Amino acid sequence: MITAERKPLAEIIDYIDNCRRILLVGCNECVTVCAAGGRKEVAMLASAMQMDFMKRGKTVDIREMTLERQCEPEYVEELAPFIDQVDAVVSMACGCGVQEVVRRFRDKRVYPAVNTQFMGAAERPGVWAERCHGCGNCLLGLTGGICPIARCSKRLMNGPCGGSSKGKCEVSPEIDCVWQLIWDRLKELGIEDRYEEIILAKDWRTERGGGPRKIVREDLAQ
Amino acid sequence: MSFQKRLTSGEFVVLAEMNTPKGVDISQLMTNARRIKGRVDAAVVPDMDNGVMRMSAMAGGVLMQQQGLEAIIHLYCRDRNRMALQGDILAAHVLGIQNLVVVNSESMANSDHREAKAVDDLDEVSLLEAIRSLQQGKDLAGFELEGTPTFTTGCTVGAFADDQQMAAELELTRRKVAAGAQYIVTPPVFDVDRCMPFLNAAADLGVPIIATIFLIKSVGIARYMALNEPGAHISEEMIRRIRKAPDRETECLKIAGETIGALKDKVAGVKIETHGWEHRLASILDYAGL
Repeated sequence: MITAERKPLAEIIDYIDNCRRILLVGCNECVTVCAAGGRKEVAMLASAMQMDFMKRGKTVDIREMTLERQCEPEYVEELAPFIDQVDAVVSMACGCGVQEVVRRFRDKRVYPAVNTQFMGAAERPGVWAERCHGCGNCLLGLTGGICPIARCSKRLMNGPCGGSSKGKCEVSPEIDCVWQLIWDRLKELGIEDRYEEIILAKDWRTERGGGPRKIVREDLAQ
Repeated sequence: MSFQKRLTSGEFVVLAEMNTPKGVDISQLMTNARRIKGRVDAAVVPDMDNGVMRMSAMAGGVLMQQQGLEAIIHLYCRDRNRMALQGDILAAHVLGIQNLVVVNSESMANSDHREAKAVDDLDEVSLLEAIRSLQQGKDLAGFELEGTPTFTTGCTVGAFADDQQMAAELELTRRKVAAGAQYIVTPPVFDVDRCMPFLNAAADLGVPIIATIFLIKSVGIARYMALNEPGAHISEEMIRRIRKAPDRETECLKIAGETIGALKDKVAGVKIETHGWEHRLASILDYAGL
């Protein structure tokens, strides 16, 4: 999923301080799962914004909505009946959702309420960790299903650096050395010889070398 | 007189672009440097900003200095992060390079190493800020330097095809000047009259303007530029003039010289791009009356 964390309240307030009517929009997908921008977080942020305005002797009218997926036009369309009644939209979706609202409602100010982080997975309740960098040319088949691009601090492709110690990364003892994980995994699977294969200089064209990326499925595109 | 002193005193500046080789054979570069010595005020050494992997501008700049030519080296953001750029800037000063020009770079997708990962840690404006910070004795992380470098630093203006793009480029250039650019280098000028609205608007930036003179070497190049660079304003008349000339090469040199002559009282200087014809630079300057 795409992970996110809520921005500090002061930053959000700074965006909308001169607004009196706000549409605060969450998303039922990734940001709900990582507890950053779902229905519950929308309600909590709305209360915090109301209190902040009240403390300063001001008022703000906040309409709360949470879309099924803020990155898809058909769901963003649900905002249409309310968009003219507000001064600005505050989105609690990831950056994709924010920009989809911007694309649909071009004359409306739209502000982000979360910082989009990374593509990750839940390690345990309340802890999400980066798993995929979206390089566009997946190497997991060569590395025992564990990604060195997303999970090695130096994005090393051919084994650990000298900073790997007792299975941990030199950057932080909280970070596993991904090459230790890869080695352990290859050994478990009995395919240690894979480790001997040199991964040559990566072709980064599928990452951002060719500019912003797009997928076009001719069989589905309208 | 140094490039910096000529700029500040208002003396007309003549710069020549000198490309480093894709390899380690510097004999042609050295020969060309000797040819232009005494006829130009400084050599501008591009780096890999046009997307071709080649010997770095730092080495090229040092080689120019060794030949007695003052060097101006290109700096850009696609291939180096802020650590590498700052390190190179300090090294440039220590190696005697006194002039920098911050330039845009070709996209990696259009380079000869399309698989490479672009860096783009800084942009042109923040790189200019970094150069200013280093000259004030601090790096971008705020740490004090042991000894501070000094440079005369410029920037380039991107090519534009219409008034709207020109306004956008001027606004970006305004930011670069605010970030420390002390002179600007224009896109290639072929039609001085059509360039005047830009030169007049750019004069408001308050820094010397150096016009780029791109030597057209053939009818084919003229046609290519006319087709692919609509902002260059290469007229059919100019193409016809080259085509009908008894000696087309000489005609191309004359055109470049005449363009410089027409610009002489309108800009602070010119940067001449001869693209391998450095041995004809003296002729261009003769036709320019310089």
